[in-house]
Amino acid sequence: MADVTPAPAPDLEAAPPARRAPLTAALLAPVRWMPETARKRVGLALLIAGAVLFPFIVRNAGDIDAAANALAFAILALGLNIVVGFAGLLDLGYAAFFAIGAYIYGMVASTQITPNWADVWQPLQWLGLVSRAHVEGAPDVVHLHFSFWLMLPGAALVAALFGILFGAPTLRLRGDYLAIVTLGFGEIIPIVVRNTPDWTNGPMGLNGVISPQLFGLRFGVTSTPYYYLAALLVALLMFVSYRLKESRIGRAWMAIREDEIAAGAMGINRTRLKLMAFATGAGFAGATGTFYVAKLGTATPDMFQFPVSVMVLVMIVLGGMGSVPGVVLGALTLQLLQSWFLQDLTQWVHALGRLVGSGALQQVELVQTIELIFGIILVLMMLYRREGLIPASRTTASLTLTEQAAMPTRGGIGASLSKIQDVQLPAGTPMLEVRGLTKRFGGITAVKELGLTILPRTVVGLIGPNGSGKTTFFNLVTGLDSPDGGRVFLMGEDVTGLPSHAIVERGIARTFQTLRLFANLTVLENVLVGMHARTRATAVGAVLRPPSVRAEETASREWAMEVLAIFGNRLLPRVNHLASSLSYANRRRLEIARAVASRPRLLLLDEPTAGMNPAETMELAEQIRSLNRMGLTVLLIEHKLNVVNTISDKVAVLDYGEKIAEGTAEEVHRNEDVIRAYLGRTTATRV
Amino acid sequence: MTLLDIVLQQVINGLSLGAMYSLLALGFTMVYGIIELINFAHFNIFMVGSFIAMFALQFLGLHGQSRLLIGWPLVGALSLGFASTMLATGCLGVVIERVALRPMRNVKGTAAMITTIGVSYILFNIVLLTAGAGAQNYPNPLPQISWHIGGAVLRLREVLLWSVSLVLMAVLHIFVQRTKMGKAMRATAQDQEAARMMGIEVDQIVMLTFFIGSALAGAAGLIFGLYYNNTSFLIGYTAGLRAFTAAVLGGIGNIVGAMMGGLIIGLIEALGGQFLQVRWTDVIIFSILIAVLALRPTGLLGLSTPKKS
Repeated sequence: MADVTPAPAPDLEAAPPARRAPLTAALLAPVRWMPETARKRVGLALLIAGAVLFPFIVRNAGDIDAAANALAFAILALGLNIVVGFAGLLDLGYAAFFAIGAYIYGMVASTQITPNWADVWQPLQWLGLVSRAHVEGAPDVVHLHFSFWLMLPGAALVAALFGILFGAPTLRLRGDYLAIVTLGFGEIIPIVVRNTPDWTNGPMGLNGVISPQLFGLRFGVTSTPYYYLAALLVALLMFVSYRLKESRIGRAWMAIREDEIAAGAMGINRTRLKLMAFATGAGFAGATGTFYVAKLGTATPDMFQFPVSVMVLVMIVLGGMGSVPGVVLGALTLQLLQSWFLQDLTQWVHALGRLVGSGALQQVELVQTIELIFGIILVLMMLYRREGLIPASRTTASLTLTEQAAMPTRGGIGASLSKIQDVQLPAGTPMLEVRGLTKRFGGITAVKELGLTILPRTVVGLIGPNGSGKTTFFNLVTGLDSPDGGRVFLMGEDVTGLPSHAIVERGIARTFQTLRLFANLTVLENVLVGMHARTRATAVGAVLRPPSVRAEETASREWAMEVLAIFGNRLLPRVNHLASSLSYANRRRLEIARAVASRPRLLLLDEPTAGMNPAETMELAEQIRSLNRMGLTVLLIEHKLNVVNTISDKVAVLDYGEKIAEGTAEEVHRNEDVIRAYLGRTTATRV
Repeated sequence: MTLLDIVLQQVINGLSLGAMYSLLALGFTMVYGIIELINFAHFNIFMVGSFIAMFALQFLGLHGQSRLLIGWPLVGALSLGFASTMLATGCLGVVIERVALRPMRNVKGTAAMITTIGVSYILFNIVLLTAGAGAQNYPNPLPQISWHIGGAVLRLREVLLWSVSLVLMAVLHIFVQRTKMGKAMRATAQDQEAARMMGIEVDQIVMLTFFIGSALAGAAGLIFGLYYNNTSFLIGYTAGLRAFTAAVLGGIGNIVGAMMGGLIIGLIEALGGQFLQVRWTDVIIFSILIAVLALRPTGLLGLSTPKKS
């Protein structure tokens, strides 16, 4: 312990330098003197300069062409990364959207489809998208030559629609089933293409697809313009990916990836966000398809088979799922491996073969082993480096010694939260009213004809032996389970059977008995996800970041810090740590903070003090009480009766799904039924 | 041929294909039942099995169209062929489980499934690079015996194929339902943790499951070769996906369901190919797969699956 250096004073503005992997650290060593932001800018400038100058340095048309193709695959990888890396939806049929994009453009920019001329085509002719062709001895026909620049977003849009179409049946499925359904769609698309030769020329493929034209110059078959276009698209879509990732939308996707049920319970409309992920990913692929077919001038169904989907998957696995620079690196590495390295290596092996006079060595074709290499990469990455070359989750700065040694401070007591306000309900309207709630699981009635009324600004304790239906009751109120009978009213409004995200919007937030944090998101991100129902930024807004979105994001972060401050210095120094790195008690606190962040009227806490020591328990009890004083109504399940007795205005007791007692803590403790439920029948009779 | 004859003939063909799909589906369903993993490597274990079987038969002196062996020697050679193939693919399955999948056992999410895709790719490409891309002629040692039922023809190879599948499935059923190991297997499928606490060696059970599933895939590979008289590196993917559909149809994790599902898919393929167009068969089968998964993930047959949380 001789080399302990004095810790610098904690500085909230500039976080202490992050711990890095040895490789990154070694690479960064020569430029350590530069500040981090400057280093990033210089790096970015060098990257852009390199990309711009590349065709002038290389000059070999074949190499530029290979680079353009590699960049096209980088776009595919970026798109699949949104679906798989961000939202955690394993899509094994991604090539289908690539095919759709390619064929959409291919069909409207070639002579494959030539309907007879009719006047309905006239407006399109004025727009310059079609022309009227005379055929000797036959009626005039239409030549389609839609503009590439129009179809690039157009095909993306069509592919996105297909993304929604294919995504819709998979929404309720678990990860592995979803993979299979997407694989099924991935199989169906090439078969349909092959079997509809009138539209697609079948297995022969589309031919004579028109190349793009810019300022009167046609791209033709020269590679350089395609290279620049692809580089531009990669840059654009990397920007889009970054913006999405660091937004309300991206956080919601990652929350779904980490824990779908908790995501719903935090106000995320899972259906909409999953479809949005599918659509965005498909859109990227659609645009790539258009680019690719325009560049090649041809498209055949074989170009879009399962191996393409697997290749893109290998790219993002290699680069790092969820990591934007990672997946681009992965795509470029694999493509260049295929088109440069393996070819060169083959030449060397052949040369070696000639040298040693081995005929076998001269026959080796290493390029054919590329798929074998893909397989090996997949297995090795999964076994030894699942996070990929450039991991998505940042390494977090460790706490300074001062922070580690700091005494826990009790925050939140007596303070107020700016966005939690007292509700003014009409006199006599309860905060929550439950009537005749019933839930059966097979032959077991978990909750039976339960009625409960919770008045505003009270704390109600819900107790009962294990298995008495308390958590099921929570699930019914928060929409995770649908009741078989009975109704739930929140502030007089019937909320029975609403999906969980809608219930959060109306003002009920909850925590879970078995912690359900988003493990690979930071503490701050977890709380920000809790605000999903209270924020409005759309995907477009997240990308463009107009002032309104910027303001909302700033306000969200301020509010999140305010909520985290409830727990004093327990969570505040750890805002950038992953939730999975927290201690058990801090995870419980974070769950409460995440729930409070959604600005609820009614807070449902499921055994909030489980796993805490007596001092921590009483600290939390006081904090719950103070949240209640700020205007929150609280319903809590708790086994520690001292907590229940201290903070509850009313206690309700469940046994076998039925309410057996209700009243103040003292009344309940004297109740014979309660004693029997807790201590057993024989004991009770003896008492 | 009358319509009835055509239907009968396609039913005969469909049952043959179905028997093969059933054997293959069993591997998917058993592995899924035990460790909830969709094993893409299974596709190509089947394909590798058909190659191993081809070499085994050739080693036993059964080449091309030669029908040197007849009677009991032929039965013996075929039995030996089945046994050695099943042993080899069974061991292949165990090696894959041990090397690539066991370290993934407790990893959340789809990592293990992605690994099986990688393994499948490796097997596929090893065969492609060593055996070449062309279809290989398969030994065809069976005597040309056939029976006429109306206008339909029932050949000896179909009878053989049905009986082999039937015997294998019966043995499996008895093993799973009546033996101690079978009981341990069912217990592990229900609740791995509880099974472990009851003293069941879960690792051994998983290994055994992979062995049995892969051995059945090997048998299916041999059947494929005998039925179509050729094999190639490509067969794993198509047949594998159809067999997987069969497993899903029967309720994945459900052994009897997989057998039924296999027969249904075989019949759909044969009858669909006859009365619709062959080129749309796959679209029909995948549509069934998607529809079942989306609408009724517990399987069309409505048989109960092991309860999973």
